Amino acid sequence: MSQTSNSILLVGESGVGKTHYWAQLLRRLMRIPGALRMNGAATNLEAFEAALESLDEGRAAGHTARSVNVDSVWPVVDANGREADLVWPEYGGEQIKSVIENRRLPDTWQKRVDEADAWLLLIRPQQTSVGDDMFSKPLAGLKGVSVENREVHPSDQARLVELLQMLIFSHRSTSRLHRLPRLGVLLTCWDEAGIAQTPSEALEARLPLVSAFVRSNWRQPLIMGLSALERPLSPTTRDMEYASKGPEHFGYVVEANGTKSGDLALPIYHLLDAGD
Amino acid sequence: MEKCAQATCFVPDTGCDLGHTDLSKCPIWHGAKVTDTADEELSGEMLMPWSGSALGFADLGFVSGRGKPIVIGVVGPQNAGKTTLLAAWYLLLGRGLAGTKGQLFAGSYTLSGWEAVAGSMRWAPGQPPGFPAHTTSRGGRAPGLLHLTFRDENGDRPVDYLFTDAPGEWFQRWAINRDSDEGAGARWVSDNADAFMIVADRDALAGELMGTARGSLQRIAKRLGAERGGRPVALVWTKSDVDIPPEMEEAVRGAVTDAMSDTVEHSVSVVGAPDGDPLLNKGAGLVELLQWAIGVRRPGVRLPPPASTSDDPLFIYGNNKP
Repeated sequence: MSQTSNSILLVGESGVGKTHYWAQLLRRLMRIPGALRMNGAATNLEAFEAALESLDEGRAAGHTARSVNVDSVWPVVDANGREADLVWPEYGGEQIKSVIENRRLPDTWQKRVDEADAWLLLIRPQQTSVGDDMFSKPLAGLKGVSVENREVHPSDQARLVELLQMLIFSHRSTSRLHRLPRLGVLLTCWDEAGIAQTPSEALEARLPLVSAFVRSNWRQPLIMGLSALERPLSPTTRDMEYASKGPEHFGYVVEANGTKSGDLALPIYHLLDAGD
Repeated sequence: MEKCAQATCFVPDTGCDLGHTDLSKCPIWHGAKVTDTADEELSGEMLMPWSGSALGFADLGFVSGRGKPIVIGVVGPQNAGKTTLLAAWYLLLGRGLAGTKGQLFAGSYTLSGWEAVAGSMRWAPGQPPGFPAHTTSRGGRAPGLLHLTFRDENGDRPVDYLFTDAPGEWFQRWAINRDSDEGAGARWVSDNADAFMIVADRDALAGELMGTARGSLQRIAKRLGAERGGRPVALVWTKSDVDIPPEMEEAVRGAVTDAMSDTVEHSVSVVGAPDGDPLLNKGAGLVELLQWAIGVRRPGVRLPPPASTSDDPLFIYGNNKP
């Protein structure tokens, strides 16, 4: 496969911070030297325009509308001159939700899944949890209580595993390649989670079922942490330090061994790197 | 839109049974409708061929494509805690406490089915947990099958498991009359399972109707003993925190071991040690039982070693020729 066909598909439910990551990454690629830099210009940045402006003013970006469905292609190059095209589908996270609920993968998604050489799954540990059950929080006098016709909401873990199973199925049935694309898992909003372990330990502790699924289906998944903003921002009030210093000076990723780095392009760099 | 003519295919509710992601390429679907133009509503969308709910017979082709799954038959009278046992395993897997040593969860095509049985044991806002509702028989002939895949940590082939979730009434009918109509589902379990768990409910054996409970268990054990051939069996005492009279315990154990002398015994309960960390509570005995279940393998065939005087594989075969 030629080097320029490298593409990475970003997948995440709504509210995991995809837009913030993209906006911050875009700025790094253009202004700050790191593992990767922009090689030319992105095809279409309309979808990121509002987010970029908000962050410039020290405010959180708004919610991505469900109907937005534009692929933006970013040509990047690393220090060794290796080129790759990053195809960033910008979409409302609810799309993912409806894919899981309806068990149907729209053709735009099949195409993305088929063409990508790596998937980067964004999970926000704070908004996905195991929850309490009879084991963790027993109820006195539990005996004989049986529950009739209760509405069951699928657990967060079941949803994520089902999503990955659907992507795998789609890839296996349409792609000519036997091998699955590489997988990266980014644990977003690392700052708010307050977890001191390494990212893969954090995934194991927070979402054991997802962690086992990922480890059993990919031999070497890339698991990293991400704090795109470094601190929570409000959509209405301005963070003066952000506005004066510039948002590109905030945010970090957590590498597999737990070290922090300000280079937000590292997850992508590692995913490209792992392909050799 | 019409349904597919193939009996095991449920398009448009799920995807194509034969795996065609583009329905127009499926020979059977194509033959089913010649003039139907309502194709657009499906074009461009890929339907997943599994619904997520517990599997029925028609779905078995989908999970058994890679190899015949190991079927674990959960056998026992009604209200003995068969469904609760399965739900507890799923919850433990979700908490990372299932302790399946080296065997990693690698997927399930019945996640909604597992969620449905385990959901009642979870805390939801304003709703305390309870036990799963009674599994209804409603004259069905097929047990619900819950699917799990495990893969060895050093990357061996994944192994599929199917756990039967069948109503206890079936087994009670089957124990009385092997060929009864109401026991057809139980007969399927007995014909197809690779291993059995016979579930004895200590709560029922200590309760008012202890005699009835003992009687039905003894009958089920007798029937299972006659039907199982050499397949492995575990006697599972559920609600192990309940005390029962020793004579009662002996009577049940005796009935099971008389019929099946190589039975292993497990005691399980969702109630764990009271003084432990609640986040690490795994109940009692559940993990060991799950390890037993996913350790079940179908007996293989051992080929005699080729007689040879050479170590070179090239010459091993055929060197007996004159």
